This record gives sequence, C-alpha cells and structure tokens, in this order.
Amino acid sequence: MVHISLWYLPLLVLLPLTVLAIIAVWLRRVAHRQSIAEEEPDWSVPALGDEEGGISPLHRWDVRCKIVTILGFSFVIASLGHLGPALTAVGISLIVSVISKVSLARVLFRLLALTGFLGMLVVVMPFTVPTHSGDTLVIFGNTDWLCLNLRGLLLSATISARAVAIALLMEPLFSTAPLPVTLHGLCRLGVPEMASQSVLLSYRYVHVFRHEARRMSAGMQVRGFRKRTDIQTLRTVAYFLGMLFVRSFERTERVFEAMRARGYRGRFPEPVELRMRTMDILMASVWLVAAAVLITYDRILF
Amino acid sequence: MHEIHEGAAFRLTSGSLLFNVRNLFFRYSNDIPALFGVNADISPGDRIALVGKNGSGKTTLIKLLCGLLAPEDGEVRYKGKPLAGQRLEQARLELGVLFQDPDDQLFMHTVIEDAAFGPGQQGKSQKEAQLAAIKALHQVGLEKMAYKAPHNLSFGQKKRAALAGLLAMNPEVLLLDEPTANLDPNQEQVFLDLLKNFTGTLICISHDLIFLYELCDRAVVIDQGRIHHDYTLRELVSQRHTLREHGLDFSFRLVMTPSAPDPDSEVIENTLSQSAPASEKTEDPPIVELHGFQYRYPDGTLALQNVTFSIRKGERISIVGENGAGKSTLLSCLVGLLQGKGDYRFAGKTVTRKECKRLWRRVGIVFQDCADQLFCSSVKEELAFGLHRLGYSRSETEPRVCRALSMVRLEGFEDRVPLHLSGGERKRLALACVLIMEPELLILDEPTAGLDPQGEELLLNILYNLDVTLVLVSHDVFFMKELTRRTLVMHQGKILEDLPIQTFMQDDRLGDLNGLSYMYRLRSSRDIRILQHEHEHSHPHTHLHTHPHRHENLVHEHTHAHEHDHPHRFVHRHPGEEKKHDHMPRRYHHHDHSDHDRESHDHSHENNNTDK
Amino acid sequence: MHISDGVLPVSVTIGGYIAGAALAAWSARRTESEELPKVAVVTAAFFVASLIHIPLGPTSAHLLMPGLAGALLGPVAFLAISLGLLLQTLLFQFGGLTALGANALMMGLPAVACGWIFQKFKGKTQVGHAIAGGVTGASGTAMAAIFLALLLATGGEDFFGVAKVALLAHVPVIIVEGVVSAFTIGFLFRVKPALLESSFVRHQKTVND
Repeated sequence: MVHISLWYLPLLVLLPLTVLAIIAVWLRRVAHRQSIAEEEPDWSVPALGDEEGGISPLHRWDVRCKIVTILGFSFVIASLGHLGPALTAVGISLIVSVISKVSLARVLFRLLALTGFLGMLVVVMPFTVPTHSGDTLVIFGNTDWLCLNLRGLLLSATISARAVAIALLMEPLFSTAPLPVTLHGLCRLGVPEMASQSVLLSYRYVHVFRHEARRMSAGMQVRGFRKRTDIQTLRTVAYFLGMLFVRSFERTERVFEAMRARGYRGRFPEPVELRMRTMDILMASVWLVAAAVLITYDRILF
Repeated sequence: MHEIHEGAAFRLTSGSLLFNVRNLFFRYSNDIPALFGVNADISPGDRIALVGKNGSGKTTLIKLLCGLLAPEDGEVRYKGKPLAGQRLEQARLELGVLFQDPDDQLFMHTVIEDAAFGPGQQGKSQKEAQLAAIKALHQVGLEKMAYKAPHNLSFGQKKRAALAGLLAMNPEVLLLDEPTANLDPNQEQVFLDLLKNFTGTLICISHDLIFLYELCDRAVVIDQGRIHHDYTLRELVSQRHTLREHGLDFSFRLVMTPSAPDPDSEVIENTLSQSAPASEKTEDPPIVELHGFQYRYPDGTLALQNVTFSIRKGERISIVGENGAGKSTLLSCLVGLLQGKGDYRFAGKTVTRKECKRLWRRVGIVFQDCADQLFCSSVKEELAFGLHRLGYSRSETEPRVCRALSMVRLEGFEDRVPLHLSGGERKRLALACVLIMEPELLILDEPTAGLDPQGEELLLNILYNLDVTLVLVSHDVFFMKELTRRTLVMHQGKILEDLPIQTFMQDDRLGDLNGLSYMYRLRSSRDIRILQHEHEHSHPHTHLHTHPHRHENLVHEHTHAHEHDHPHRFVHRHPGEEKKHDHMPRRYHHHDHSDHDRESHDHSHENNNTDK
Repeated sequence: MHISDGVLPVSVTIGGYIAGAALAAWSARRTESEELPKVAVVTAAFFVASLIHIPLGPTSAHLLMPGLAGALLGPVAFLAISLGLLLQTLLFQFGGLTALGANALMMGLPAVACGWIFQKFKGKTQVGHAIAGGVTGASGTAMAAIFLALLLATGGEDFFGVAKVALLAHVPVIIVEGVVSAFTIGFLFRVKPALLESSFVRHQKTVND
C-alpha cells in the first residue's frame, strides 16, 4: 500500500487524460493531413492489382486464408492474459501494418475510434476493481473511499493493448483487397452469399444516405436550426430522423425495383475466382507460429 | 371535354407489336386509381414521348410496361404473350429502364461491376460481361472512371453510368424516366447523341418537350391516368390548346430565341437604369461583395478560386456553369454554410466566423431538391420553423404564414403534410419558407428541376413579381433570361465572365468555351415556333364537305370540293416571308357557308363529286 | 456504446457469435430471401441515423436506436442491426470484430423485443403511437444498457464497477432516446403511417411516386 496526499489525485487522473486528449487531437490532425495528401488514383484500372501486381505480401495473399488466419489470430490476441504478451501482439500488428503498406490515416482513424471505450476503462477500472491480497493500492490522503488499485490499471492497460493490437490488424485484413473480393472470400468459407451481398449494398447506400443527411442538415441550418440541449432540438432531430427514414424506405423500394428491372432473381454475379497456392498456406503457417509463440509466452512464462 | 383520340394513326399490323396494352387499370394500395383504361400499341422501332403533368401516371405506366407493377385489371402483352412468368423474365433482360435517381440504379460496388451486373444476369460469362461493360462505359465516356465507387461520381456521371448499365445489356427497348433532369447542357448533349443513335424502341418521359422534339416521333399524352392523345410529336407541339389543357404548354419558353439579336429599346433602357443608380449612390454598399475569395474542400481540392464580384441591392443575377463548376459551393459560402478564405462582405460588413452563423437571417436559399429542406409534419409548422428560431410568438407568426402562402399561391394549405404535396407545390412551399423570413438576398438553386411546364410557368410568375435581390443558379437559359439581367459564367471554380444577360445570350463562342451547348435548343425552339405559328389569314383554298343542294327539283347531299377565299385562324408554317402557306396534315375545319346550298352549280349527277 | 475487442472473455465472444448467427438466420427467415437486399438498404439508413449526435450539456451522445429499429422493422431488425454493426466495425472500428456477436446480441435482442411491444401497444391514434414509440425507444436503450452491463460482468468481479458505470452513463441517453423516438413515431404516423405497420418487408406493397 502506498499513501500519497489527496492533491495528487487530480494530477494522477487529469495528467493521463490530458496526455490522451493531446495524443488524440494530434492523431486526428495527422490523420487529416494524411488523408489530404493522397492524390487521385487512376480509376480506369482496378484499384488493387491482381495476384501478380499486388503491392505487398498481404495483397497477394488468398483472401480465404487471410480471413481465417487473421480472425483466428485476433481471437488468440483476445485471449492473452498479461500485458507483456499483449504488448508483443501490438508490436506484431504494427509490423504487419507496415508490411502491408496500409494508409496511415485510416489506421489512425481506427485507433481514434477506440479512445472512447478504452478511455472509460482506463479511468474507471483502477478505482473499481475489488482489492485482493497482494494488490498495490494507492491511497490518497486519508480518504478510505477512494483508492487506486494498480492491478486495475494493469488490467485496463492489458485490455487496451489487446484492443489496439486487434484494431491494427483490421486495416491489413480489409484494405488489402477490394471489399467485394474479401466478402466473396467469406462466402467461400461458408457465409451465405446473400449476407455478403447485403454488406456491399449497405456499404454503398451508407454513402448515399450520408450525402442525403448532410444536405438535409444543411437545409436545417440555413433555416436557423442549431443543436442545443433542449426539447426543441430533440423534436427537430426526430423530424430529421423521420424524414431520413421516409426517404430511405422509399429509396429501398426503388432500388429493389431497379434491381429487378435488370433481371435480379436472388443471385449476384461472382466477382472473382479464387486460387489457393502453397505460398498462401506458408504464410498462414507463419502466423500460426506467431500465435503459438504468443500463447506460450502468455501461459508458460508467467 | 375535348375529343380524345387514341392510337388511331398508329394502329399498325398487330403481328409485329412489341407491346400491346389493353384496358389497363392500376391503383396504389389505398389511393385513387393511377391509371384507368389505358390502351396502347407499341411497335418495334417506335420512339415515343410520354408526356403529362406531374402525377399523371407516366412513371406508373412505365413500371407496368416492364412488369415492376402488376395491373389490377387489363393486360400488358409483350411480343404477343402476357407479361408474366417466363416472358416477364425474358422481358426484363431485353428492356432497359432508366430511373429518375441514378443512385437507385447503381447498386454495385464499382461502376464497372454495376455495368456488368445486367450482362451477368443475361447469362453471359464473367469475361463477356466485363467486355460488354467496358464497351458501354466507353459509349457514355466513363471508361476512365470504371473502377470508381458510384458515390464518388458527380450527378451527371452517375446518370451516365446508370445508362451504361442498361446499354451493356444491349436492350431492345429503352424506357427512360426523365433522363436529362438536372443535367447541364453539355451532359444533356451526350445523352441526346447516345439516344439518337440508339436503334431500338424508345419510350421517354420528360417535361422537356424541346429535348423530346429532337428525339421522338410519337407523342402519348397522359392526364389523370388516361391516355388523351396519341399522335405525332409534331402535331402535339403545334397545338397550343392541347398543350395548355394538359399542363404542358411550354410555349412561354419559345418567346425568346436570341437568334434574332434585336438590341431593342428595352435593353438599352436596362443598361441605363442599371448604371445610373450605381454612380448615384456610391455610399450604399453592395449587398454582397466577394474579393479574391477561395474555398478548399476538406480533401484539399480547390473548389473556388479568386472569386470576385458584387451584387447591388435589388439586382438580379444568374450563375451558369457545367455540373461541378463550383456553383453550389459558392452558394453554400454565400449563405454561410461553408466558410472560405478571402474577403466576403455582406451589406458592407466583413463576414467573420461569428457573422457566418448568423447569415441565415438575411440570406434565404431554395435548394435544388426541396426534400432536403422540408422536414415538418405540417405546412404551417414548416413555415413557422424559421420564425420560431427568430423568437416570434405564435400570434405574430399566424398572419405571416398566411401572407407567405398567398404569395406562392398555396392558400388553405396550412394543415397539409408537406411530403404529400406534388412536386410543384413542394417547390413553392420551400420558396414560401424562405420568403417568410423576408431575406435580403434570395438564392435559387435550379428552381425548375423536376417541374412540369405548368409548374414552371407558375413559379416564373411568382418569382417575376417578387421584389428582392436574387441570385439564380440554373441551366435553364429561358429562366435566366426572364428573371435576371446579369450573368456570371463559372468554370472549374473560377468566374470566367461577368456580363449582361443579353450579351451572354448572343455569344456563341462563350457557349462553346464553357461546354454549354444550347444550340440544339435554339434550333428546335425555332422549329416549334414555326409549327405553332398561328394567325388569321385568308387565301383561296379547297374544301371538301357535304351539304344538301338543289338542282332544280332535286335535293341531295354529297361530298364535294370547293375552292373559295375566306379568312381562317390556322396553325401553319411560313417557309418564307409571306409566301405560300403550308398547313399541317390532318387538319379539319368547319365553318358555315351561308346560302351555299343555293349557289348555282352544275355537275353531272352521274359522277357525284365535281362541283364548282 | 459498443464493446471493443479484447474486453470480453474469449468464451463469451465465441458464444456470442454462435447465438448471434443463429438469431440472424432466424431473422432472415422472417422475410423472403429474394427481398434481403431491401434489408440491406434499410440498414444503411439506420446506420446513418445512428451517426447523428445530440448535444447533452457539455458532451454529446449518439442515438443507439434499438427501439426505433424494432418498431419499424419487426423481427428483421436483428438482421439489420447485425449488418449495421459489421459495417461499423469495417468502416470505423466502433465495436470490434471479435466482439461482433456479443454486440449484435446486445442491440438486436432488445430491438426484436421492442418491435413486439410496439406493435402490441401502439393503439390507433397519433398520441398512442407516440407514447408507445417513446416507451419502446427508452426501454430498448435501457435493455441494451443492461445487456452491456451483464456482458461486461461476465469478465468477473473486476468488471462489476465498469458495468455499473456503463449502466449509469446510459441514463441520459435513455431519456433522450425515449423523447426522440416518441417524436419520430408521431411524425411518421402523420406523414407515412405505412412504415409503422409490422415488419416492413412482408406487408409493404411497392408504394412509390
């Protein structure tokens, strides 16, 4: 048990929070700058090359292998119980991200999305974890209702490391092949074809509806609507939602009609043929080894 | 009720009919019938313009023709068999339907996948489908965008991509629902060229009769769910009274034709009256003043650069430019939705970030799609929305609501649901919502998009009589000419020219430079005007008619020809100045020939028809 | 609030996947398989709606909308929500890939329950609809919050504190959600009541133009 005076409390809580906030702001700034720097690609060719033209080993990897391996690896990471192995996993994920040459901006945006939930864990857990024998407690002044349990801090740090490690793998998993190809790979693994087509359709119309929503909110703004914490705002937001639903349900019918008019009868064309080669298997086994090492490190060395 | 003639001229040999529509009846779940008793025959190679007011049942008819809706009564036969089951599936692969909103149609992940969807459903192998898709994309000029996601395309490009998806299927029939609405003239030309070269059957809905005039031969007029006329398009456009009756009279547009550049007294007067007050009251600052203004999108592209212009109070200006020239961005900056760099003064005061958020009180904008602007559950609430934001009480808003509604001719609409109104009514409601705030500057973004000619004319009248500073963004030269005096020509985020509208209208070079080809419109307008030419004149002409006449004791009746000279009011063409008249075919007229039956005439009664 | 990767025990995530997949399959059976594209497009709408932020004093909250989804979609809501969560993971990393099944259960089960409640109690008037909408909106979010707390608690007693905090943090959201849902349902009742009949895919005729 460590006793320190009460005035350290704000310091100990606020300091990490400020640092986190500054990092988050900085990440956002960098991410924005990165996303601007990207120049208009040549749209007359497929965005990502075929097997031969792939820009990294992950691009050339057979999607089915990639999905199974990375998903499995993610579950292995999720099962790690200690901070050391979890941080090692973060390292591995970082290396993979670098190898697969994914866009820095997108990786940063993904990490930013984690800050909310993980921030809550990091702040709440050290104070709420029940005290076991052997825990190191930091007690502020002579209050007995508030003590910081280092085990809780360690636990939340481990969770954060696991989350970051898995999040870092998402870009290499999803953006090293066009989305239709990845989803087709999923189908070949037993996911119903319709499910993957639905994801594609949703993905497409998320963009359409976002534009629609943006135009509608512009329409509200020019008529003086500003969001505040009051009932009027809630009512207007509700109208906005209502309009959004009405328009999108109508669009849903129109889209379906347009599909049927072009001969849709419940089936989509297959995007690509997939081929599995020994390279793919080899790559998968490299990951398998990495996973085994991580588990061993986690279970035996601790 | 006027006479209804259907299909008489086009009832051909029924063996080769493509569509055979008999006594079609349809209604949406709970509503009044959308179509009743529709009959039509469509032969291969027909090019049909399907016209009528908003909500007359055109889109419903198209959906029935391609089997998306099932008729409540009656029958659609496709190639001789009812449109159902096997035949329907076959038909869907042979028909191409272009819907109004291209986003509904581009449902695949990339443009090329979308174009290959149809051929894929036709049973082509992946490679063949891909080839067909590439070929179709090439036709519409989008081969460079093949692997782009549809949501990253501009509106015009989406529209073209949607057409490519149909062309890739190599359709026998194209059914088009307002193919050129909201397109800039340049893209419209692309559509026109493609469709003119299309050899199959064409059925096209549009409010733009000038466009249809270029494209189609046959006109089918629908009104309130019935086919009222089915004849040649030339006949339709020549009959103003028919057009007016069905809310299609676009003739008000034909008054222009700047091909006759007459710098008449009015123009001179305008320029004088515009320049005079400017020098007079220099102390009164212009309402909008932009100097070296620029705007950069978050992704880094420069949307506006070095924009400099000013608008004086009471001035009416228009802005033209191709799709994506930066017009909408400029408008967003003017109303304070976006904040750019550079000098923007509103009524003499620099618009700061703080000021930007308050601009909505002084600038009103009507968006292109009024669905983006109307979101309340009653018209009254909709109108009061902005006023409540300004802190007006309920008793203050009431009279203002009434006044605003009467301004846009929507009296008595207070309790209606905005979403249930027709397109034209919604547009006027959106306008009322802006006018009720008494803006110092009124901005209209493509006000005529999607309106039928009747709605356009009404809107034009309302706008014409408003006393307000106006900025109009439009592809519609006629509206610009009628409502504004000055034009800014935009291209790739810059203002190329700032000139009086008359000069703009006469400058062919400028049109080419900016890719705004209005030429075919001018040509067609002239043609149609000649067709509609109508005045009273007299000339000797021959009649065929029957009446009883006497020959001594014999009274009998028979058809015979007369030649006589008397005045007529008649639609006719003048091939040259005051030369011979050339009447439209199938034109009958009736008039009295008083005492004609007593006229002396002689003819041999063996062959009954040579009279004099 | 979605659960990130690496928070839940692996057994719970895998169990969540299995239960989620089974329920999604059940949900998909409730509609014509040919009409599944419609579910996909509607999902996109809910996805966009869930991105809207509402200011709450100094911070802001985004709507979760299990209640509204249930009221508008009926049993299909489970499928739509699973799909939406998958998209959120794909696009923004809200909620993790490994926790997808658990997240789908957390949001989808309350949605289906809410759909049932709403259809049962909506009545025939606008006020009745609005009240039923408000209740389902609030209870949907409340159920989701309880589910979240329960899932977190599966991690052992170390997580109880977090679970309680998470539950408390949802209280203002529950209120907001209830009010917004009531207004939305009232609006829809006046503007397009066809949307409020049970399960949209089965009953809705093609109404357009």
